[in-house]
Amino acid sequence: MIAALCLCLQLLALPYAPKEGATTIRDSLGRTVAVPERVRRVLSLQPEVTRIIVALGAGPSLVGRDDFLARFDHLFPLIHPAQAGLPVVSAADGFPKLEVVLRLDPDLIIASPSEAGLPDLLQKKTGKPVLAFSSMGRFEDLLREILWVGAALGRAERAGTLARFLREKLEAVRRRTEDIPAERRPAVYVSFWGSFTRSPVGYEPVAAAAGRNLADGLLPSRLGSVAVEVSLERILAWDPEILLLHGNYLPGERTVNVAGVLSDPRLRSVRAVKDCRVYYTFGFWHWWDPALALVETIMLAKLFHPERFQDVDVVREGNEVFRVFYGMEGGFDALRRKLEIPDGPWR
Amino acid sequence: MDKKNRKSRRVLGILIMALPVALFVLSLNVGSYSIPAGDMGKTLLSLVVPSLRQDVPQVHRDIVLHIRLPRLLLALAAGASLAVSGAALQALFRNPLVNEYILGLSSGSAFGAALSLVFLGRSFPPQPAAFVFAMVAVMAVLLIAGRPESGLVSLLLTGVIVSAFFSALLMLVEFFASPYALQSLFYWLMGNLALAGWRDLALALPLMAAGLTLLILLRWRMNVLSMSDEEARAAGADVRREKWLVILAATLVTAAATSVAGIIGWLGLIVPHLVRMAVGADNRIVIPLSAALGASFLLAADTVTRSLTSIEIPVGIFTSLIGIPIFLALLKKSKKVWL
Repeated sequence: MIAALCLCLQLLALPYAPKEGATTIRDSLGRTVAVPERVRRVLSLQPEVTRIIVALGAGPSLVGRDDFLARFDHLFPLIHPAQAGLPVVSAADGFPKLEVVLRLDPDLIIASPSEAGLPDLLQKKTGKPVLAFSSMGRFEDLLREILWVGAALGRAERAGTLARFLREKLEAVRRRTEDIPAERRPAVYVSFWGSFTRSPVGYEPVAAAAGRNLADGLLPSRLGSVAVEVSLERILAWDPEILLLHGNYLPGERTVNVAGVLSDPRLRSVRAVKDCRVYYTFGFWHWWDPALALVETIMLAKLFHPERFQDVDVVREGNEVFRVFYGMEGGFDALRRKLEIPDGPWR
Repeated sequence: MDKKNRKSRRVLGILIMALPVALFVLSLNVGSYSIPAGDMGKTLLSLVVPSLRQDVPQVHRDIVLHIRLPRLLLALAAGASLAVSGAALQALFRNPLVNEYILGLSSGSAFGAALSLVFLGRSFPPQPAAFVFAMVAVMAVLLIAGRPESGLVSLLLTGVIVSAFFSALLMLVEFFASPYALQSLFYWLMGNLALAGWRDLALALPLMAAGLTLLILLRWRMNVLSMSDEEARAAGADVRREKWLVILAATLVTAAATSVAGIIGWLGLIVPHLVRMAVGADNRIVIPLSAALGASFLLAADTVTRSLTSIEIPVGIFTSLIGIPIFLALLKKSKKVWL
């Protein structure tokens, strides 16, 4: 009886049948999915991809949003004010409300590859093409992701422009710092995700800005950027020169803040605390915002090596990056004010 | 033979009582930051002799005073609390499967911590809410089930139901939480001593000390309470009052330990059984030895987890991974369950 029930449910599931004129796209999971040539309505359940869609100029084609963007993302309302009217279909990376998805009738759904089986299941249940993309916190994968999403949405040219811009800016930072020997690259501890002892492994903006992320190597790099818990003693033994704190939270929501770290008696012998080199940074906010990841890299480069970036005005550069990506003026400044990120030596 | 047995049990008992002290000294010298043994002595002395401070690096003093000492003290107190709480409730309910969380305490405190982390603001510590809701869950069990002497089975069943209710509430909170609040919550739920500071211990340690003292003083009565109620009354016990006292003290120490260390499972089940296997079921001996062995077990587990890798593995995972096989092996060897 159970087998019969399963069979009926299988038959009831809507099979995805690609229509003629479809383009074949390969996603982060290596799945090959046929996507309609013209995608007019797109549903993204992955915040990083949703931001890329807006950067590609396809924001108006979004038909829904995930709960993380709706409730916790402080940048998204700035770059895409129209998002407020979009229905919430799921938790970030979560399984969406199927009836809402079918009502919204997207031509394409983009999900996260980190939720095993979700893309295939969603495709089977909705009969819509489902792609899975994520950068996993690596610049090369972010660039590839921008190109893939651009191809899927028929905006390959715009995607190429953005990827080129991102690559050139990163390359410019690399050129200014490539001859800095390892021992002159500052030892940096990054505190993320609301806990002082939680740190990202394989955090590329620090390396791209010619710093040494002390948590690198604690887990295999093939996992991408992942968080690990380290002990306070380990941090004291590392004795970082610079402490970076996750600054994406609104000031009232921050568990870890600069004043708290500077006054913590357990940390007073750490070089960064003694020298008052404790700063907010941006980083992940349910994976990356591509523009913010770039601005963060430029900001960190000036923070780590001010003598090499004296001519760089980070706020002006940041605003320029936001203008290129999102077509908005003063975007970085607006976010900085919203999050109350104070000026530092990076300014 | 019997005399020889008694002697070996006494020796074993003395060894168990001495174990926390030995492990404390050993653990104080273990950590990611290497402090030579000679410097450790000087560092400890400098904490009480101010004139020695100039000879000791600040970082050594900070590590010993602000990181290792509070963590080690929490491990000792929480380990003792969870083990004694389990032993006391097993005696009271005359059931070897009872553990310190059976009355809904773990799900209550998890719900409290979740509420705090998700809704009360991220800068608000979760410990007070965890403690309050742990107490609320147990009080709910006691009120719903009625008098403890009238139906122990109904008390246990109510505990299961209240646990399920708070677990459902916890899932509801998790559903509405941001992924970043969820990360903090999951880490807390796994049980760890990593962030123990004096501020966290200021409230929890006195509560654990008070509850433990009461339970150790009541250990004589637990032998009486573990008989049937009629027999206990015939032996002169005020069954109702004394059962309430044991339950409240066990709840107090477990809630205090859980609020600062998260949910550390299996300790209250495994440790009392190990003690009974070693020295028999007399609660006058089982209770203090459970305190010593529980403290040692958690201290040793925490020392291993914080020194094995650079990554901080929650000790709650380790106590289960290591404790269960040891327990099973000993249980198989002894072929009986003591109570």
